[in-house]
Amino acid sequence: MSYTGEAFLGLMPELISTGFLIAVLMVGVFVERSTGLVASLAALGALVTFVGTAVLLFIGFEGEFFGGGYVVDAFALYFKLIVTGPAFFAVLAAARWSGGTGDGAEYLTLILSVVVGAMLLVSMRDLFGIFLALELSTIPSYAMVAFDRRRRESAEGGMKYLITGVIASSIMLYGMVLIYGVAGSAQLADIAEAFSEQLTPVALIGLVLLVSGFAFKVSAAPFHFWTPDAYQGAPTSAAAFLSVAPKAAIFGVLLRILLEGMPGATSVWAVVMAFLSIVTMFVGNLFALRQRNVRRMLAYSSVAHSGYILAAFAALQGQAVPTGVQAVMIYSAAYAVMNMGAFLVIDLAGEEVKGYNGLFRTRPGLAISMGVFMAALVGLPPLSGFFGKAWVLLAGAQSGSGLVYVVVGAVVVNSVLSVPYYFGIIRNMFFEKPAGDAKPGEGGFAVELSVYTLAAATVIFALVVGPLAALAQASGLL
Amino acid sequence: MITTATIFIPLLGAILMLFMPDDARLVRYTAMAVAAVPLVLTLYIYFAHGSDLGAASLTQELNWIPSLDIGYRVGLDGLGFGMFFLTALLTLIAVVASWDIQENSRQYFAILFLAELGMLGVFAAQDLILFYVFFEVTLIPMYLMVGIWGDENRRSAAIKFFIYTFLGSTTMLAGFLAFGVLAGTFSIEELNAGGGLGTTAQVAIAAPILFGLLVKVPAVPLHSWLLDVYVSSPTSTNVVLSGILPKLGTYGLIKIALPLLPQGVEPFLPIVAALGVVNIVYGAFVAFLQPDLKALVAYSSIGTLGFILLGTASADPVGMNGAVLQQVTHGLYSALLFVLVGIIASRTGTRTISELGGLTARMPWAGGLLALGALAAMGVPGLAVFASEFMSIMGGYTAFPLAGILASLGIVFSAMYLLYMLARVIFGPIEKPAYEELTDAGPMEMAAVVPLAVLLVLFGILPGILTGVQQPAVEAVVTVLGGG
Repeated sequence: MSYTGEAFLGLMPELISTGFLIAVLMVGVFVERSTGLVASLAALGALVTFVGTAVLLFIGFEGEFFGGGYVVDAFALYFKLIVTGPAFFAVLAAARWSGGTGDGAEYLTLILSVVVGAMLLVSMRDLFGIFLALELSTIPSYAMVAFDRRRRESAEGGMKYLITGVIASSIMLYGMVLIYGVAGSAQLADIAEAFSEQLTPVALIGLVLLVSGFAFKVSAAPFHFWTPDAYQGAPTSAAAFLSVAPKAAIFGVLLRILLEGMPGATSVWAVVMAFLSIVTMFVGNLFALRQRNVRRMLAYSSVAHSGYILAAFAALQGQAVPTGVQAVMIYSAAYAVMNMGAFLVIDLAGEEVKGYNGLFRTRPGLAISMGVFMAALVGLPPLSGFFGKAWVLLAGAQSGSGLVYVVVGAVVVNSVLSVPYYFGIIRNMFFEKPAGDAKPGEGGFAVELSVYTLAAATVIFALVVGPLAALAQASGLL
Repeated sequence: MITTATIFIPLLGAILMLFMPDDARLVRYTAMAVAAVPLVLTLYIYFAHGSDLGAASLTQELNWIPSLDIGYRVGLDGLGFGMFFLTALLTLIAVVASWDIQENSRQYFAILFLAELGMLGVFAAQDLILFYVFFEVTLIPMYLMVGIWGDENRRSAAIKFFIYTFLGSTTMLAGFLAFGVLAGTFSIEELNAGGGLGTTAQVAIAAPILFGLLVKVPAVPLHSWLLDVYVSSPTSTNVVLSGILPKLGTYGLIKIALPLLPQGVEPFLPIVAALGVVNIVYGAFVAFLQPDLKALVAYSSIGTLGFILLGTASADPVGMNGAVLQQVTHGLYSALLFVLVGIIASRTGTRTISELGGLTARMPWAGGLLALGALAAMGVPGLAVFASEFMSIMGGYTAFPLAGILASLGIVFSAMYLLYMLARVIFGPIEKPAYEELTDAGPMEMAAVVPLAVLLVLFGILPGILTGVQQPAVEAVVTVLGGG
């Protein structure tokens, strides 16, 4: 094992963000009244990491390190961008709020540690490396959810998240151990050989446990029940960030495990994914319909969107594999901009659905932005969410499997099913008169600017989707 | 270039509206000026390029998603030109007829222009995905127009409209995506005649596409969203809602479903023809029972849309030419009637037919034009709808004799309820003393209705103005379908 310059270059994004993480923590400890300083440092850290990753992607950097256990390819770099971009906005959104708690530096440190963990995660090619990176990104996120000590729900959400998360991790680890036992190695390439023939019962159990663990992490039904409480209790910036960034990385690494580690067992896991996808979509949407609290509604909405992404996983067979990979990549990016934006609006307009009444009259810019996010989450063109769904349907059409056609039908039905709750917000904002006693949220100028930027990104997505698709096509994963 | 310019000028107009000062008069006149620009451009296209619209011309192509061969491809052909023109015209009429938009007129016009962008785009799109995008771009503006400026029932009407049509269009999208990904391109030109797909694949793809388009029309069992929306909308929105939006569906049939999936739609054509007849007969009967004048016009509109379905399904050169023409003539007469209903309701304070009567005595112009519109709706010779309905029935008779006969009976039914309505509303004794004080349509109101009436007469006498442009493109479609 030699640590060459190339390895350092490949690990540059992670090293940069780790550096900033330490700096933020140290400044927070040793400098008094450092709110502004730590926030700028953390935002700068996310930004520099983002730019560094983009540079690596742009120059076409590829490399394998640590005996093939760690890979930097376009696929990994793409997901690292989806992790760091939202981190920047999460830091902006958190700056003012976390300063008020007196523990600004700690909270921002947590965001950066999730970033480091999630970035490492998508590069891992070794089951135990994957587990470590996953824990590195989830353990700080438990703390993020429980961070708002002024609200009881925060502690409650954090506690539920922690308990279910730990159980999920144990289940996943057990699955990994079984797979390791069958394959005799934790490297994905070796596992691929062991999983190429008929699966033994032990291998099958290992696979199911592994997938179940991941299902917890991406809040797929029936493993989703922590999500509404965690997102409702969490500080807005935490819910916004956790619902898009680490989740995208988890989907990315799941894609890598299944395609690089178990291509021979497609027929097994594709069925599991199809089942998970259908249940997740329906559960997410049906429960979201009943919510009167915007945070909770968006939490169930994020469950539903996990279902749509899982539909692309179900389609990963035959000819459709490249399109399915693209679907997951494009959906994750599309979802990151629209959902991050929708969550951040809560900071400005409050979490009660009624609080949105007449927003178009009182704050037209904010209402239009929220309208854009809601329409994008429904999947209306030409907004970002449309392209995510379109790619899922494309992959489904290509797969040539009857079961996947059922999943595609469920995606269509669920898109329509989701209209009432997203459009309930649009109705309140545009059709109703402003309520006199509406409580505005506690976001500042930075949050407002983030919302507008993300709304613009949701619209402009239509123009960059071509290059994005080309990038996804050439990403290196099959 | 000129096609793209025409499509996107409304976007500039929408942005301009948001920066206008809050002066209702100034806003309205500026909106009229903006709306006039696409109309002038389409007239220019007609006179300069009208003769070469056999295949898509004035095209423009830009890469969008090269890996799937999805492109920004626009162009105009004889199938879409009539509706392209009508969209520009009716948007202008909708701006002129916006007298019942009292509040937030800037936002209203901005939203109207966004809808216009989508509608113009649909009739010029030469790429399946682009078609779908424009198709859906109209949805949110219409939802907002009904939901913000409609009557007290507007909220439920708006969401009902949205959910129904979104269900249809999403299903259609699934069909489009399957089609494009199997054929390897989304270019409408290259997909002509099936894009190399076999019959089974074509049928499987045609089913969801037809479903989506028929919901949009709406064909009768799929129509339940329509009445609430039409009745709840302000007059100005009605113009676009009845004049253009249903044609997104029928145009999709003529431009996409039939020529692109000829073997796929073949088994469904009798069903489409039957739905057309059901629309005609059902629309006429239900219109007869409506106490509300606006609801009567709405059902009359559903009925005459049936002729478009019948003519299209006939896959016959005469019938399809009639269907393409009927898209325009239907838009002209239904817009005329909706505006006149708005004028009458604003004066008398009611739309209930039994409470109206003798209006011509005090409102000769409005009453006379209502009579003209109703006569056009019946398909009286000399007015535009006659030619298109006659051609649709002819074609329908050639392909499905029974359907042709039933459809011509439908004309008789529609004459019955329309004449009854006219007798009740504009003739006879003056119903209420208050109606003695009624004033006739003012200059602005006349400006909204007279152009429509003039065109109804003009296209009635000289249908060749439009059919000449359509003919080559229609024949190309019929050739693909193996007829003619």
